[in-house]
Amino acid sequence: MACVYIPVQNSEEEVRVALDQLPRDATDILDILKAEQAPLDLWLIIAREYFKQGKNEQFRQILEEGSSPEIDEYYADVRYERIAILNALGAYYSYLGKIETKQREKEEHFIMATQYYNKASRIDMHEPSTWVGKGQLLLAKGDVEQAFAAFKIVLDGDRDNIPALLGQACVQFSRGRYVESLDLYKRALQVYPRCPGAVRLGIGLCRYKLGQYEKAKQAFHRVLQANPENVEALVALGILDLHRNDAADIRKGMEKMQRAFEIYPYCATSLNYLANHFFFTGQHFLVEQLTETALAVTNHGPTKSHSYYNLARSYHSKGDYEKAGLYYMASVKEINKPQEFVLPYYGLGQVQLKLGDFRSSLSNFEKVLEVYPENCETLKALGHIYVQLGETEKALESLKKSIKSESRDAQLGLGWLCTIEAFLDLGELLISTDAGAALDAFKTGWLPVATVDLGENGDGAMAPVPGVGGDAAARSLLKQGHEEVPVELLNNIGVLHFERGEFELAEKAFKEALGDDILLKFIDSEAQRPTDKAHHDSIKEAVHTAMDASASVEKYKDMQLFHRLEEDGVAVELPWNKISALFNLGRLLEQLHKTEMASILYRLILFKYPEYVDAYLRLAAIAKARNNVQLSIQLIHDALKVDDKCPNALLMLGDLELKNDDWVKAKDTFRAAKDATDGKDSYATLCLGNWNYFAAVRSEKRAPKLEATHLEKAKELYTKVLLQHNANLYAANGAGVVLAEKGQFDVSKDLFTQVQEAASGSVFVQMPDVWINLAHVHFAQGNFALAVKMYQNCLRKFYYNTDNQVLLYLARTHYEAEQWEECKKTLLRAIHLAPSNYTLRFDAGVALQKFSASTLQKTKRTVAEVRSTVVELKNAVRLFSQLSAASNLQFHGFDEKKIETHVGYCKHLLEAAKVHCEAAEREDQQNKQRIELNRQVNMAEEIRRKAEEQRKVQLERRKQEDELKQVMQREEHLERIKEQWKSSTPGSKRKDRLQTEDEDGGNGDKRRRKGGKRRKREKKSRYETEETAGGDDHEEMEDEDASMTYRESYDHDDQVDDNPQDLLAAAGLEDSDAEDDTVAPSSITNRRRRQLSESDDDDNEHLQRQPESSPARENSVDMQESDGD
Amino acid sequence: MKLVWLKSLENAHDDSVWAATWIPATDESPALLLTGSLDETARLWSPDELTLVRTNTGHCLGVVSVAAHPSGKIAATASIDSFIRVFDVESNNTIATLEAPPSEVWQMQFNPRGTTLAVAGGGSASVKLWDTAEWQLVATLSIPRPEGLKPSDKSGSKKFVLSVAWSPDGRQLACGSMDGTISIFDVARAKFLHHLEGHCMPVRSLVYSPAPLDSRVLISGSDDGHVHMYDAEGKTLFASMSGHASWVLSVDVSPDGAAIATGSSDKTVRLWDPKMRAAVQTLTNHTDQVWGVAFRPPGGTGVRAGRLASVSDDKGISLYEYS
Repeated sequence: MACVYIPVQNSEEEVRVALDQLPRDATDILDILKAEQAPLDLWLIIAREYFKQGKNEQFRQILEEGSSPEIDEYYADVRYERIAILNALGAYYSYLGKIETKQREKEEHFIMATQYYNKASRIDMHEPSTWVGKGQLLLAKGDVEQAFAAFKIVLDGDRDNIPALLGQACVQFSRGRYVESLDLYKRALQVYPRCPGAVRLGIGLCRYKLGQYEKAKQAFHRVLQANPENVEALVALGILDLHRNDAADIRKGMEKMQRAFEIYPYCATSLNYLANHFFFTGQHFLVEQLTETALAVTNHGPTKSHSYYNLARSYHSKGDYEKAGLYYMASVKEINKPQEFVLPYYGLGQVQLKLGDFRSSLSNFEKVLEVYPENCETLKALGHIYVQLGETEKALESLKKSIKSESRDAQLGLGWLCTIEAFLDLGELLISTDAGAALDAFKTGWLPVATVDLGENGDGAMAPVPGVGGDAAARSLLKQGHEEVPVELLNNIGVLHFERGEFELAEKAFKEALGDDILLKFIDSEAQRPTDKAHHDSIKEAVHTAMDASASVEKYKDMQLFHRLEEDGVAVELPWNKISALFNLGRLLEQLHKTEMASILYRLILFKYPEYVDAYLRLAAIAKARNNVQLSIQLIHDALKVDDKCPNALLMLGDLELKNDDWVKAKDTFRAAKDATDGKDSYATLCLGNWNYFAAVRSEKRAPKLEATHLEKAKELYTKVLLQHNANLYAANGAGVVLAEKGQFDVSKDLFTQVQEAASGSVFVQMPDVWINLAHVHFAQGNFALAVKMYQNCLRKFYYNTDNQVLLYLARTHYEAEQWEECKKTLLRAIHLAPSNYTLRFDAGVALQKFSASTLQKTKRTVAEVRSTVVELKNAVRLFSQLSAASNLQFHGFDEKKIETHVGYCKHLLEAAKVHCEAAEREDQQNKQRIELNRQVNMAEEIRRKAEEQRKVQLERRKQEDELKQVMQREEHLERIKEQWKSSTPGSKRKDRLQTEDEDGGNGDKRRRKGGKRRKREKKSRYETEETAGGDDHEEMEDEDASMTYRESYDHDDQVDDNPQDLLAAAGLEDSDAEDDTVAPSSITNRRRRQLSESDDDDNEHLQRQPESSPARENSVDMQESDGD
Repeated sequence: MKLVWLKSLENAHDDSVWAATWIPATDESPALLLTGSLDETARLWSPDELTLVRTNTGHCLGVVSVAAHPSGKIAATASIDSFIRVFDVESNNTIATLEAPPSEVWQMQFNPRGTTLAVAGGGSASVKLWDTAEWQLVATLSIPRPEGLKPSDKSGSKKFVLSVAWSPDGRQLACGSMDGTISIFDVARAKFLHHLEGHCMPVRSLVYSPAPLDSRVLISGSDDGHVHMYDAEGKTLFASMSGHASWVLSVDVSPDGAAIATGSSDKTVRLWDPKMRAAVQTLTNHTDQVWGVAFRPPGGTGVRAGRLASVSDDKGISLYEYS
């Protein structure tokens, strides 16, 4: 039993104080000490004893008393003891300050400590222990440099001062100078080999920091040998074991942690590590308990931060993002610089991302990036955020950087994984902007999947793991990867190929996604690939079973096939995650016109998942495309049984009802669809708009009022859609149609042109309507050449030249442009395409009739023209009489009387034409004669001219001869005169004159003859022209009659006179007119409506939502109706 | 089984070529290809060189159908004006001009024995049978009207008969109509037997398989883009083959019955394997709708290889070797 003896003043006696029996009240003992003026070292011993017993108050009381001014005065010369007391107090307050968490009190404590040390220094400023104390205080205050100076002072005086050595080692450790720190610890150990375990702990930590794990381990083991319960050493060893990344070592490490925990349950570090461990084993309750304890026992910032982090992570993985966020925040608050501990920033970023706080998330991830500028995960996260914030450029940059950084050390499995993910992300991002690049990204991402055989990463708990044990987690992830098949990825690749029109590649991708043998055998049952004979045969048999022809009408509802297969013992499996790929493959097969196989796939989906509405709709669309309206409606009703509010099904139903001419029903259905989508589905609104448009132009007897209301309503609905989606082509087209209907052609033309341009970009947008509408506008503006070109292009581009309606528009344009031959050919083509459409025959007859009439009307025409007129008139008569005969047989909408009138008129024309033909032929004959005559005349003239020339030459010659003669005569004469002069004679002069007169007379006679002939001819031709003119007059009157009737007909003359020709006009031509006015635009919209079905998918999956992609167009208003009244 | 492209003749006609058939070889003459066109002519072509043998004029409003008598001596052409011109192949002398108003004329076919010419009668909802000796109308095979249908009912016109085909034994006759149904008749008794359903769009072309074992097999092409194979007697549809992107305008079966050829609005000619029930080849040398495909019948001197001819709206004719 340790005792102290307080000498009693002025006596030899001593008061014995048993140290373990110190009075609870320190005043008692103080009284003794003071009364006996006990030496100060006794004060100190007793105070220290109190301290050891945890009685800090008594300790402080004694020492404060022991350092009071009276004591100073009284013991003025006892310097060392006084310093010791002051230092003890300083150390005490340093300690208080160190453990105090509240900043103000902490500082107060430090101030106290500083005061005591200063006081001690004043007594003796060279006392080393004071300096050591000061150094410790400074260290506690975190003032490492000054602490260094303080310890240095001591060590300069005594290089073996152990406390100073230890302090300095601590300073160096804090400064990160582990080598120096290690040296100092070693020196301390050399100087004082029996040092407490703390020194060896220090050595171990230094070695640990220097990466000399084995030596560190030895050091810690030494500590444990000395003191098996040294928690720090245990924890340190545990950490070392944990970092070995070996299951056995990790277990050993955890055992040590556990022991440390058992020894001392309040070591925050061990608590944290334990929590960390239990986090990975998924025991979140323990995690919370441990970290909460850790938080309670420590006020060491980084440790607390770690604890908060653990807690946050636990909540994070449980999906409690609010709490996780709070704890991450707390964790971050404990950290001065992100460099110290970056993980909570990452976690916080993730949680904020999850909670949609993109800006804060962004700043946190950026902090992580400050520390790890090339961290792939972080870059990816940033990429995501940028995507969310719409900053595509930055997003791309981040994602690309992440790929670059990761592929650099991509040999590692983890690296691959990250790279793949990043590629996938990049791909998904690019889908919206650049499908091609997205595909590349997907493929590159996918390639390593194929080679390394890794799957897609699963998100969630595993994502925020890059801390300790992250590697192990990643490894288990890789193992999981082997099992997972990236179906979704392959599906996406397939869709992208599909969108780019690369159907083979798309098919390959979808098939790879499906992967399953049975499924593929269904698809390949067409091709012969007898790999698995038994199965293959039964599948083939099932697919190719003959069915009763009358039952085949309902083929697309047939599920027998699969039942039969199951009976045959062929299990048809369809995992849920493959439905999309299967459905998309079906869409692809449809696109490739392998409709039958597509229908089998859809039916397979429905066989396994009868709730899959889209498959019903696709089947309905297939049936509709094949004009099987009843089946299509049945299938849609099946879809509606699953979901009676499904807007797609409702809209398609409405469309079919329109096709069946169920106007009222259709409107109700469209309304229901609109209601089902709260009016947000622009397709529903559009359908209603179209309905209104149809209603406006449909009725044969146009009611202007009704028409205007419907048109206005249609316009309103189109505008509404345009307000919602200003890029909706179909609404724009509709608006254009309404405008055109109102005669605002220029505006509508602009609209159509823009829509046409916009529509010509995608595989999925097929808008023949806008081409037709544009052509209609050109037509209406009299721009026939352009209209023709537009119709032709449209026919070729969208209808494989099979649409007789567009051909009819084309014929009508030719008709207006008076291109009769083209008009006729076009109508014949149309008849050939639609043999049962008698309207076309009627139109052909009208065109022939009009052609003939206009030919006969021409002032100049060839015989060939007239002849062909006769032929065409005969054809027209035949066409009309056939129609008239056929109308006995069945109803096709023509008034027999009208046809009779046409026949009558044509016959009449024919009569006239025959006369004309004869006349023309006669004229032709005469023309020929005339030409012959002309030729003869010319020849005669030529001969005459030649003769004349000859005569001229002769004349000349004769003249010369004459002259010569004359000269000679004159000479003779002269001679004679000379002679006559001797005897004179005048007779020769008259003779000369007579000669010339004779010549003149011959000439004149010829001239006269010629002129007479000319006159005669003139007379004859005058007679001819008179004759023909007379005929023409007669003819012209007729023609005028005819053209009048035509004109009237174009003026939309509805009045029916007794005049048969008017009747005829009203019948025939008004017909084609009315038809074009009504049919043309309505069918436009029909088409549009059909196309609409493909439009404005809000769905990402283009393929998934085209159930009503190909409703066949109907011609709601045809000639028969317009003619019906 | 494959087709090898041999030759294409551009601008064989002045306008769209709408019909084609082979006139069987005779002792004097090899098989000839007979084509009809919108240009109102029918033309005869030598079998391998596709040189023009003769241009037959006389039709108005486009030649829509051509048929050859099995003897190879007589052929018939028909146009939209519903006249049929029967002529002597060698001399081009008109043998007869047929019309049966108000019935129109669409597809025509001589029966295998050559005694009767069957003509699809369009809106008359009937097939007209003409005796080839006297050129008299001997029978009208009418499609019965569905019960409860008023004479003025609109849907009456849906039984518009477009196509016609004789069974190889000449006992049965099939005709296809606008509404997609196919009607089967017993010729000897002039009796309607039954309908074959499955198409809902016009059936423009029909052909019986010539193979002796499955002579009941009837192959149809329709605007719905599908080719159907029916058992015409058992009333079953045992194959529905899709693949054409647009209307199927014409079907023909190879003489050995092992292959089916189709021509379509999608500008292609396809060869199908009826056993596999799948397309085995797609030929794309036409630039517009292919209105007619025709296998050359076997026979004639020095003829070994099979031939397929196709004609199109592109005014051209293409010739392929079938093997």
